[in-house]
Amino acid sequence: MDLTREEESILNGEQGEGKQKAMELVTALGKIYGADSLIDITSAHLSGASYKTIGDGGLKYLEDLVGGGARVSVPSTLNPVGMDRTRWREMHIPESFAEKQLRIIDLYGQMGIDQVCSCTPYVGPNVPSMGDHVAWAESSALSFVNSYIGARTNREGGPGALAAAILGKTANYGLHLDEKRRPTVVIDADIDGSVFSYSLLGQAVGMAIGNGVPYFRNISPEVEEAKALSAAMAASGSIALYHVEGVTPEAGNFDVSELEVIHIGKKELENAYAKLNKTDDVQLIAIGCPHLTEKEMHQIAAFLKDKEKRNKDIEVWFCTSTAIREKCAEDVKIMERFGPVLADTCMVVAPIEGVFERTATNSAKAGNYLPTLCSQKAMCRDITALMELVL
Amino acid sequence: MIVQGRAISNGKAKGEVIKLNEPLSFLGGVDGSTGDLRVRDGNVAGKILVFPRGKGSTVGSYVMYDLMVHGKEPAAVINESAETIVATGAVISSIPMVDMVPSVNMFEDGDIVTVDANAGTVEIEGIVFKEVVSSVVSRNGKCILEKRHDNSRSFPGHWSLVAGKIEDGETPVEAAHREILEETSIEVGEPLGQMDPIYCREGNTLFKVHPFHFDAGDKEPVINDENDGYVWASVEDAESMKTVTDTVLVMRHFLG
Repeated sequence: MDLTREEESILNGEQGEGKQKAMELVTALGKIYGADSLIDITSAHLSGASYKTIGDGGLKYLEDLVGGGARVSVPSTLNPVGMDRTRWREMHIPESFAEKQLRIIDLYGQMGIDQVCSCTPYVGPNVPSMGDHVAWAESSALSFVNSYIGARTNREGGPGALAAAILGKTANYGLHLDEKRRPTVVIDADIDGSVFSYSLLGQAVGMAIGNGVPYFRNISPEVEEAKALSAAMAASGSIALYHVEGVTPEAGNFDVSELEVIHIGKKELENAYAKLNKTDDVQLIAIGCPHLTEKEMHQIAAFLKDKEKRNKDIEVWFCTSTAIREKCAEDVKIMERFGPVLADTCMVVAPIEGVFERTATNSAKAGNYLPTLCSQKAMCRDITALMELVL
Repeated sequence: MIVQGRAISNGKAKGEVIKLNEPLSFLGGVDGSTGDLRVRDGNVAGKILVFPRGKGSTVGSYVMYDLMVHGKEPAAVINESAETIVATGAVISSIPMVDMVPSVNMFEDGDIVTVDANAGTVEIEGIVFKEVVSSVVSRNGKCILEKRHDNSRSFPGHWSLVAGKIEDGETPVEAAHREILEETSIEVGEPLGQMDPIYCREGNTLFKVHPFHFDAGDKEPVINDENDGYVWASVEDAESMKTVTDTVLVMRHFLG
């Protein structure tokens, strides 16, 4: 790999051990994936924020980094953590977990990372521009900014994204390069256009192709729909970039006439639905994966406005970011009659295993991860169908 | 012997090999506070940990860090191909790591190995290296297996494909032609197929094996005194015979 004199000096430890370790990691990953150089990034988004997912090893790693004086050099945001910072008791979180989780948030803060912990930073504090090179972890968010915004990032892991944030640089390979952003398959989609149908579409595409760069026809996602589609494809497959004809900014750059066309319609969506639904009876309904947007908060509040929660046995959680919870105070009042509006956390990264065994969600992403990361039997339906369970 | 790999995480270490034949997820596969393996007997602390590649949860990187915090980390890691999780764990935990060694089958538990992860080299102590050819000579879905002498220096009494050492100045395919002619009197044509080299160990001998597939034609083999006899064997036949390492794997590749 060609390094500049400045980058060499960092690698040789002339600017301290913290930066040296970061450079060792970024160059090691670059070597594995065939990068020829490093590129400057404009922002980073980090995963590895929940104590549940990183454990004591991760906590110690962050402590050592902070002890060594590590600080990020580009605007950086953090993924959801394992609990709401103030309302964790409502989530049945043990005190020992809460202590360590608060410590982790504090450590990221000491490195200069924004304290809003969300998987949708692109609607709030961290909005890249078209063509920006960034280093993002969180598979759903990085797919959204790659695809819907036209920023450029690979699927970074937590420590790799943090190292990139410290340096302000990442290795130049994969989706940073024009040729790797070309579509690999055309998806001829036939869906009803609801947000939930985008979740099922993403699930079906991930199941059909696994990875690659799909090019969609016949859909017109707005932010909420693109959020659902990105999350689903990144969870059921490992898709980090897609294009939508007439919608996403790079779609017009490519000739797709020679590509294979896959039709995804009613039958495929039914298979996707069946894959995500393994129980008819749930203890928890968790909505907001990825985090609810302002528009979704308004819609849910409007639907629930004159209704009452009759089924008291099923708990309901709504998940969003602190910023959106504060903005939507009126909606929150209505929603709280059904269950807590939790900020900066979600059902996947919270330690719900041990408390619940069967959980419902509107998210294909959560539908994939609830069984594996949380030992849950999952149900996956649209938001109104889920709310009907408690009305 | 010295094997050239690729440096992933800097540093040097010498130690005893503990080897896994399957990809490893550190999360679930290794106890982060004790170093005990959960996928086989053994402990990674202070060992040269050899496995094909990482897999599983990205939290695996932090399990490696946890090992380091507890003083139970491996002295070095050797992979066939590095991926993000293990490479990240090795770098943040300052564990020397080399990848792109040709095969984990070059190593055996207990080998004493020196890893120079600055140069990307791995030295296995006391190893004799032999480069050989091994040919599936087939007719109607069966191939020739030869019975090695009971006093043979390598794999005594085992059933073997038509195999032998590559002589100085010979290409692998020339050696295959010569060995088949010497051992069976059959003159074969161009190979029907060949596999990437495979590695296997017998004690301190490391074999690099070039597998080939040839059509036997319609002549019956006439074997020389290097072997005790021969049979025509299918893959199923070979599965129940005492064969040289990887014989069945090679037969299955060519004969399906």
